[in-house]
Amino acid sequence: MWRPSGTIDETYEQNIAIVRTRRHWGTLIIALSALFLLPIWGSYYLVSLINNLSITIIAVLGLQIVTGYCGQTSFGQAAFMGVGAFASCVLVMKGGFSFWLAMPVAGLISGVCGLVGGAPSLRIKGLYLAVATFAIHFLIMWLIFHLDFLGGPRGLSVTPPKIGSFYFDTEERMFYIIITVMLLMTYGARNIVRTRIGRAFVAVRDNDLAAQVMGYNIFYYKMLSFFIACFYAGVAGSLWAHLIKVVYAEQFTLMNSIYYIGMVIVGGLGSIPGVFFGVLFIRIIDELMIFASPVLSKTFPWMGQAPAAALSLTTFGAVIALFLILEPRGLAHRWEIIKASTRLYPFAR
Amino acid sequence: MVAVSVVLVYKSTHVVSLAHGQIMAFGALILYFAFVVINLPFVLAVGVALVCAVVIGWLIERFAMRPLIGESELTAFLNTFAVYLMMDGLFQLSCKGSTFSFFHLLPHDMFSVFEVPFPITQLVSFGISILVFVGLALFFQYTKMGLEMRATAEDHQLAQCTGISVQRIFSSIWGISGLVAAIAGIALAMVIGITPFLPYIVIKGLVVALVGGLESMPGAILGGLILGVLENVSAGYLDPFLGGGVKEVAAYVLVLFILLIKPYGLFGLRRIERI
Repeated sequence: MWRPSGTIDETYEQNIAIVRTRRHWGTLIIALSALFLLPIWGSYYLVSLINNLSITIIAVLGLQIVTGYCGQTSFGQAAFMGVGAFASCVLVMKGGFSFWLAMPVAGLISGVCGLVGGAPSLRIKGLYLAVATFAIHFLIMWLIFHLDFLGGPRGLSVTPPKIGSFYFDTEERMFYIIITVMLLMTYGARNIVRTRIGRAFVAVRDNDLAAQVMGYNIFYYKMLSFFIACFYAGVAGSLWAHLIKVVYAEQFTLMNSIYYIGMVIVGGLGSIPGVFFGVLFIRIIDELMIFASPVLSKTFPWMGQAPAAALSLTTFGAVIALFLILEPRGLAHRWEIIKASTRLYPFAR
Repeated sequence: MVAVSVVLVYKSTHVVSLAHGQIMAFGALILYFAFVVINLPFVLAVGVALVCAVVIGWLIERFAMRPLIGESELTAFLNTFAVYLMMDGLFQLSCKGSTFSFFHLLPHDMFSVFEVPFPITQLVSFGISILVFVGLALFFQYTKMGLEMRATAEDHQLAQCTGISVQRIFSSIWGISGLVAAIAGIALAMVIGITPFLPYIVIKGLVVALVGGLESMPGAILGGLILGVLENVSAGYLDPFLGGGVKEVAAYVLVLFILLIKPYGLFGLRRIERI
């Protein structure tokens, strides 16, 4: 890891610190306070956009761990998010849990489902596993749709979280919960991937045979990565449920899983900051398409009234293809290059 | 038949393609535009659609897949996925969420040789598929290019050494598979019409190919039959107990089981791996 010249680690605590210098701390504090004060200075649109982004980021962080670090492609992330959302609804509305307990428990339930979903990775890998997770996605969504106590096509509604008599019932109020959880989960992910577990994941990804020879129980680590990923998805789903306050099966489509995979690819496999880049990049393109679509449909009448959905699909596909061909290591890699070149500026480009 | 085109590409290029669902849909769509909108004669319209499909297949190979030669299978798969999404957007744009159907557009006297105990169009589609299978088998067995393709499928580097242009084979295999996919699309569109959901059939095609084994053409055909029978039988027997909709998931349950028990499909080549 690069650090500014003159910064020398003297203790173990300094060596393992994530935030290294005073300037880092300053930037972090300013950025965080700007973020937390956002409902005051930002518009409603911005707040709800960031809510949405943060939930996506949590889900994609999980996917990054299973796909980017452990190398097991999973197309089931949206389904596990659905599991988390429905679990949380049932726990709060029928089990009498409070939101604060229901969220982690929903994450755990989703994680356990993920263990079942990850079981095929015992026998198959790569492409075959990707198709198996397709199948798992459809199975889970079918179950959610057809189990009676989950409300079928109408779904479930849920009450907003509360402390005492204070309800987190608006976008601005949920914002604080979502942002806090997102930051905590990011911190967690950042730490998971650089501990023993994370290194084991990378070993399994890079060469499973070698990892096994070195004494890693690769099935255990594969299952663990699925568990962690689905825990993240479950928490994201739970937040989503309490933000929207009504959940139904159509909210968690295969398309969402594909978007998550796309975000991981664009951001860069095997990088936590990459998740942020990827989610932002894809979402910005989507928003641009929504703004551009009225103009486009006016200039090209054959496109019809609302080409936004179709166009964003096309651009999304094009972006993924371009990234796979031109920059397979994603935006995070590009970012590292930019950082290194600014640090070395007068001496090297 | 979609499965056959997936297998076709996989066999010789080791790429699993989702893009064929789109080639299929576009084949049907172009036929619709040529036949109904521009009012070409039916045979000519089919010709136009097939040529376009071959060109689409070739373009995908040239611009999307060729830069990725040498990358892992999964990367290539994701890339065909990206192509799939791109074309999906275009497809949605051009059909604007509505359904076109061919049912009454096809001149009925063309098929009146068969009297009607069951839907004529399905019989025709079935006949077309059989013709295509036989044609493919003959092509691979008896032509020089077919031989070259089989050689490429065995080993890319060895084929290159013997003077076969592997790149040319790759593009022609994509062209041929595009052709097969388009025929499949047209046959399918005759039965169910052109809907915005037409391309999604390819996911089922992929399942079929996996069940049969990705390397095996007979496997793909058999897998298709197994899946068709299983879907309808399971829907018939299990729907009353499980409250409907079993048909949609039967395919996925099947592929999960097959993958767990025989990871390389019923007729696939078994690769020996220890983990």
